[in-house]
Amino acid sequence: MLDVSLTGFPGAYIVRSSQLSDKLPLVRIKLKIERTGNRPAHLSVRASLAVSLAVVTAVVVAACGTTQSATPKTYTGTLTFASFNPFTGPDASFGPEMAAGCITASNLINQSSGLLGHQTECIAVDTRGDPADAVPAAQKMLATNTNLVGMNGPSSDEALATVPIINRAHIPMFADSGQAAFDKSTFAYFYRLTPPDDAAGVAMAVYAYKKGYRRGAAVFGNDLSSQGNVPNLLSAFKKLGGQIVLNQTLTLDQSSYRTEVQALIAAKPDVIFTEADPQTDAAYLSQLQQLGSLIPVIGTQPTVQPPWLKAVGGAIGNDNLAKYFAAAQPYAPSTGPAWDTYNTALLASVSQIPQPDQWSQDPYSETDYDAINIMALAMVMAKTPDPTFYNQYIPKVVASSSGATEVHSYKEGVDALAAGKTIQYVGPGGPVVFDQYRNSTGAFELVGYSADGSNPHLDTISAADVEKYRS
Amino acid sequence: MQQLIPAIGFGLITASILAIAAVGFTLQFSVTNILNLAYGDIMTACAFAAYLANHAGVNIWICLVIAALFGAVFSMVLNRYVYFQFVRRGTRLFAMIIVTIAVSLIIQNVLLAIFRPTFFSYHADAGSSYHFGSMVFTGSQLAIMVIAVIAMLCVHVLFTQTKLGKAMRATATNPSLARSCGIATDRVIDVAWLLSGALCGIAGVVLVLNTATFSETTGAGFLVPIIAAAVLGGIGQPYGAMLGAITIGLAGEISAALISPAYKGVAAFAILIVVLLVRPQGILSEVADAKEVAA
Repeated sequence: MLDVSLTGFPGAYIVRSSQLSDKLPLVRIKLKIERTGNRPAHLSVRASLAVSLAVVTAVVVAACGTTQSATPKTYTGTLTFASFNPFTGPDASFGPEMAAGCITASNLINQSSGLLGHQTECIAVDTRGDPADAVPAAQKMLATNTNLVGMNGPSSDEALATVPIINRAHIPMFADSGQAAFDKSTFAYFYRLTPPDDAAGVAMAVYAYKKGYRRGAAVFGNDLSSQGNVPNLLSAFKKLGGQIVLNQTLTLDQSSYRTEVQALIAAKPDVIFTEADPQTDAAYLSQLQQLGSLIPVIGTQPTVQPPWLKAVGGAIGNDNLAKYFAAAQPYAPSTGPAWDTYNTALLASVSQIPQPDQWSQDPYSETDYDAINIMALAMVMAKTPDPTFYNQYIPKVVASSSGATEVHSYKEGVDALAAGKTIQYVGPGGPVVFDQYRNSTGAFELVGYSADGSNPHLDTISAADVEKYRS
Repeated sequence: MQQLIPAIGFGLITASILAIAAVGFTLQFSVTNILNLAYGDIMTACAFAAYLANHAGVNIWICLVIAALFGAVFSMVLNRYVYFQFVRRGTRLFAMIIVTIAVSLIIQNVLLAIFRPTFFSYHADAGSSYHFGSMVFTGSQLAIMVIAVIAMLCVHVLFTQTKLGKAMRATATNPSLARSCGIATDRVIDVAWLLSGALCGIAGVVLVLNTATFSETTGAGFLVPIIAAAVLGGIGQPYGAMLGAITIGLAGEISAALISPAYKGVAAFAILIVVLLVRPQGILSEVADAKEVAA
């Protein structure tokens, strides 16, 4: 590791090479000069001074861009949180789900006399679920929102491409990405309150096995988000004693899946594991209904979202959906004081959130709400909205410790902090326990579908069970 | 291998939908020389028109006629009041493509604003299943294939047996000469848009009958195979589009059966590239040579 120590300057900096990824050219200049050894004897004192100054200036510039400055940035006006997710495209349902949590939290913060004297707002940034669109969207978001202090997202669709960009801009992000690549994230501003996709695959396998299914068919879309579930689903189901009789990767949004369905029927599974966009799964399952007969289907959290349920319910009939469908999603109890506060505020936000009741029991909306509250309380603890200062307080907001006062809303947290107490925020998404990689995973619940549109609880798969069968 | 025969049957359904759409697309292009990339979105708009009628209690097959009428009028109006304004100013082929892309985005976003980002289904029964050897079709799929065959026959009769069809072919081959011969090319162009729009409307509804659900982007997602079928057959060639549709439809399903569903799109487009390498003008190409398509 390269350590460059500069002393004798106003505000001494210690810059580690690992922090200099975006300033590498400058560091290389420095290294090159070092490798040349002692300056040649014929170099004048003035020239050597000039070179030294240039080197020092370069390193100081690099340092300024990568480490915390001495004083926090001053903000005027409304503070901005972003919901950075797909609002259009195959995963268009992700964005509104996230925005529901953000808007609800922001409204409650504003009603609680604001955040450090500022009002807050939520903006929607549409990634279209495609890295090619998400990267410019991220750059535009960072360039045009000077008061951006935190965000929810990105999703699995665009996380690999955009997390480094957002991290480099020092914006804390609470990703809903399920990619296992972030299980051991080294990005200082990356947080995740929901389990990775591969854990969802395990929960699906465990539930299927508990239900007595032994011949599974994995039918997943060819998008990143869906495919993230597959490896651990396959290995966990095998470990449990089941057999994957078919593993299909579907090209999304085709007009026909009859050949794929024919192969499924020939493989004789007793359960289908799936995640694909609503139109794909609707076409696939309706063509299964036409060519053979429906069998139990176990989906992931995106299949519990209203667009998926509407599309598939419309295609195969809501009665069939109720009869055959179950889905694994992160467990959020949807009861208790934190949830009451969340749900009341959510339902009151009907002018900003269409059909808010659809997000009442949605674990992602709940954790997105929690994320905004956690960031806001961290700002209060740090006494500044400057992310480079408040980021280090984020784990402290949720940390369990003896004597900590458990708070269930932003207002309770602010009041407790004002009273000089140590707090532990526990929101509607449940307790947050960050590991060293700032991931907090928990249990899964299996939900079904009722004709009235609700998702009744079917079963719970504990975090221990998930870990046991996870590769 | 035992899945090959059923896959051919499934390919015929896809080919039927593609054929209706691709013939409409190429028919309009052959007469007007406008590569209308908003075609898929017009399909979606027609599907929504049928949806509104269907959910007002109208039978889906009558909705099909409504969608065809809507598509015909919509396309003609679109040409008269948007595309033709650019053509009159001498806008070149590439710039016209950009205009059609803009129209595509406008239609998509207007539909999104009106209907919100969700999915829609028709009230339509797929009907009983019918077995032909190891091929299986539902009643609605058989209907789709019959509609495709009738549409193709109508196009054939139009082109070969009617004065209008001959006028369209003449306009497609050489508009200036056709005008000199007394053909009212402006009217012929209007009729081409009407017919293309009607086929577009029918294609939109049968596509949704096949996919079971749709959203504001469904038609646009189907545009690439439509263009592929049209190009494969020889752009501007209705018979070529039929041939291209059968090739693309069958190739996709057969590759899904024999290789992997993951390569469904790959196989069809690989065939397209190979054919175009061997025969750049497409399989059938009388008109294509005469126009400035290659340029």
